[in-house]
Amino acid sequence: MNQTQTQPAAPSPAGPFEPKIVGFLCNWCSYAGADKAGAAQMSYPPNIRIVRAMCSGRVDAQFVMQAFRDGADGVLILACHGGDCHYQEGNYRATARHRLLLRLLRQLGIDEARCRFDYVSAGEGEKFVRVVNETVEAVRALGPLNGHGRRTM
Amino acid sequence: MSVGIYLCNCGTNIGERIDFSRLQEELLRQPGVAYATPVDFLCAQDGRRFLEADLGQRRPERVVIAACSPREYERAFMQVLERAGMNPCFLQMANIREQVAWVTPDVDQATGKACAQIRGAVERVRLHSPLFRTEIEACRDVVVIGAGPAGLKCALTLAEAGRKVVLVEKSPVLGGMPVRYEDLFPNMECGPCLLEPVLGEVLHGPHSANIEVLTLAELSGLKGYYGNFQASIRQMPRYVDAEQCIGCGECVPPCPVSAPNEFNFGLDTRHAIALPFPGALPNVPFLDARTCLRSQGEECTLCRDACPVEDAIRYTDAARTLERPAGAVVVVAGFGLYDCRSLPELGYGTVPGVYTSLEFERILASNGPTGGELKRPGGAPAGSVAIVHCAGSLEERHRPYCSGICCNYAFKFDHWIEKKLPGARVYHLYRELVAPGKEEFALYEEARRNPRAGFIRYAPGGVRVTGAEGGVTVEYQEPAGNRGSLTADMVVLCPALTGAADAADLSRLLGAPLDRFGFFAELHGRMDSAQSAIKGIYVAGACQAPMDIQMAVSQGMSAAGYVLSGLADGKKLEIPPIAAVVDETRCSGCRTCAWVCPYQAIGQSPEGRAASVGALLCHGCGTCAAACPSGAIRANHFTNEQILAEIEAVLA
Repeated sequence: MNQTQTQPAAPSPAGPFEPKIVGFLCNWCSYAGADKAGAAQMSYPPNIRIVRAMCSGRVDAQFVMQAFRDGADGVLILACHGGDCHYQEGNYRATARHRLLLRLLRQLGIDEARCRFDYVSAGEGEKFVRVVNETVEAVRALGPLNGHGRRTM
Repeated sequence: MSVGIYLCNCGTNIGERIDFSRLQEELLRQPGVAYATPVDFLCAQDGRRFLEADLGQRRPERVVIAACSPREYERAFMQVLERAGMNPCFLQMANIREQVAWVTPDVDQATGKACAQIRGAVERVRLHSPLFRTEIEACRDVVVIGAGPAGLKCALTLAEAGRKVVLVEKSPVLGGMPVRYEDLFPNMECGPCLLEPVLGEVLHGPHSANIEVLTLAELSGLKGYYGNFQASIRQMPRYVDAEQCIGCGECVPPCPVSAPNEFNFGLDTRHAIALPFPGALPNVPFLDARTCLRSQGEECTLCRDACPVEDAIRYTDAARTLERPAGAVVVVAGFGLYDCRSLPELGYGTVPGVYTSLEFERILASNGPTGGELKRPGGAPAGSVAIVHCAGSLEERHRPYCSGICCNYAFKFDHWIEKKLPGARVYHLYRELVAPGKEEFALYEEARRNPRAGFIRYAPGGVRVTGAEGGVTVEYQEPAGNRGSLTADMVVLCPALTGAADAADLSRLLGAPLDRFGFFAELHGRMDSAQSAIKGIYVAGACQAPMDIQMAVSQGMSAAGYVLSGLADGKKLEIPPIAAVVDETRCSGCRTCAWVCPYQAIGQSPEGRAASVGALLCHGCGTCAAACPSGAIRANHFTNEQILAEIEAVLA
């Protein structure tokens, strides 16, 4: 198996730390944006695992907490841009929920940069790739989520 | 539980970039995975036939297809499952083309990521429950609110398709605003003439029996949901029986009352019994009870005495509330103008001779307060007119948008001023000029060619209108800073179009939201602009956005199209299976879900405090499930358990 599957969440002498990121993507904009990046064959790091939800508003705080508990080093929540939500305003709910989530993560000693929220439209394949790259790099720089953060959950 | 996995190689698209033999080896180690079969082009006819036959033979309990994006073929594969005798929801796709093979150049890394995504799908699909489409009977009748051009065409189209339509109009006259305009841009067609054939069809055409026309009527309540609405309609008495009245108008002159005439925006007066204006349809006078002497206790019967028909005027008529079932409601409630009193520098309401464009339309109209003479009511013919475009538009503190029609009607005004008063000066004071469309430029060019027309561009807030001896002074500042002034006999303001004054009340009754400008919010600005956010409630015409007659009528027809396809004859309404369901035993009745639902799909269960989802209204976004503090809401096919299992497996 490749590194991201088998490697423990700790720096390996074999290479740089490869973080595991779970990306929650809404079906109508962000997931389509990821598909667009694929159709354009833009490559990006394989560290992200994509979980599709119909709407970013469906992304329950417990999904994020569960992802951290199950071994994710970072979480990405991607939504439609303001005014573009297929369900009118689910993305606004998701934004508000993310703000609360960050407060909770702070209390648990988890760096905010591990939980990024952004907007990616169906046409923004390039932005999707940029956001994934930035997130992977940011989480890589923070190192694996172990110790205090994971234990508290 | 056995899971069958199909690995589509998509030709070389996936097959050459992911190591299938390693993938198979890994996946077969997962408990419950019965097989992991590579297939060529699963989406092709051959592939789908193979899938159907293979499912019939191997009979897995759940299916994972690792292939392209589910946005491409998920529905098609669900149909294959159905044909193979399985519940279509027993499928989960793993997107290993767009989101793995095409974006991961390294085969090892791609194989690892594909494996994780497929494991996620396997663990998720185990927890899929069978979902079934359910159907309910739906009422095919339609309530159309508003009898302007868009509402009339919508009602007529539906009636021609055999639908029963209740056409609800709050005023005593049909035709909306354009019936009050002498002429219409871009080609000077007469407004009433444009509508006459449609009105004729609605009132007396071969399908008119399908249309119940209710004037002086407003929606007073709406219960139910898509397919099964119950509309309450409050109709004020006309006091003149439309069946008996011959439309001679003999009743009008004897009336001793004089009241401001709202059909001419108060520019003249009318009697208490009146026709809104000559030529108004239906050609039946109405009695305005608020101004009639009888409402002050006087026993006046002058109108009835003058009426040549026995019993056509009935003082005993009373308001009534009608209940009508409907499958859908079309809102065609029209527009308002931005209140020019919020622009005090423009002098509206304080400086005599300053009119809104709607008032000026009536001054131009031959059945208006001046009989079509271009002058202030009671004044002398105008020698000069200043037209202030963009009043209240293009400014965030008023209305940031361009209404798109004002320039066109301003050039129409220019045309009539030139024609009716040769020698009169016209000034166009504008911030921006727009004249899109294939015919509209001609009017603009004509205005530009008018030797007595001047075009002056002004800076934001750069127009000040004050009274002057025998006229009106207009001071302006151009964008470059230079100032100037002119005098005119009349000033016409072209205010931003807004939602109608009563749109907020109507929105509350319907549960269909308004946008921040007071227009009815559309489901999607470009693809579904004639649908509201609420299923079964459609919006058309200038109640949805500023627009011209052409676009309003197209939207009215579009709304009719939605109704005819959504509530098609001989078809039941399908309740989508991917919807939210409340576990009443866990619900605390806190209403958080109802608050976050963008579709007002969540009400209260008839038995108690618990929330209850109207399955027909639910769009399946799952926002309520994420918001519920008690975990009492299940988002079908996207349940917590399913998503949590997927998260765990993709990280394993």
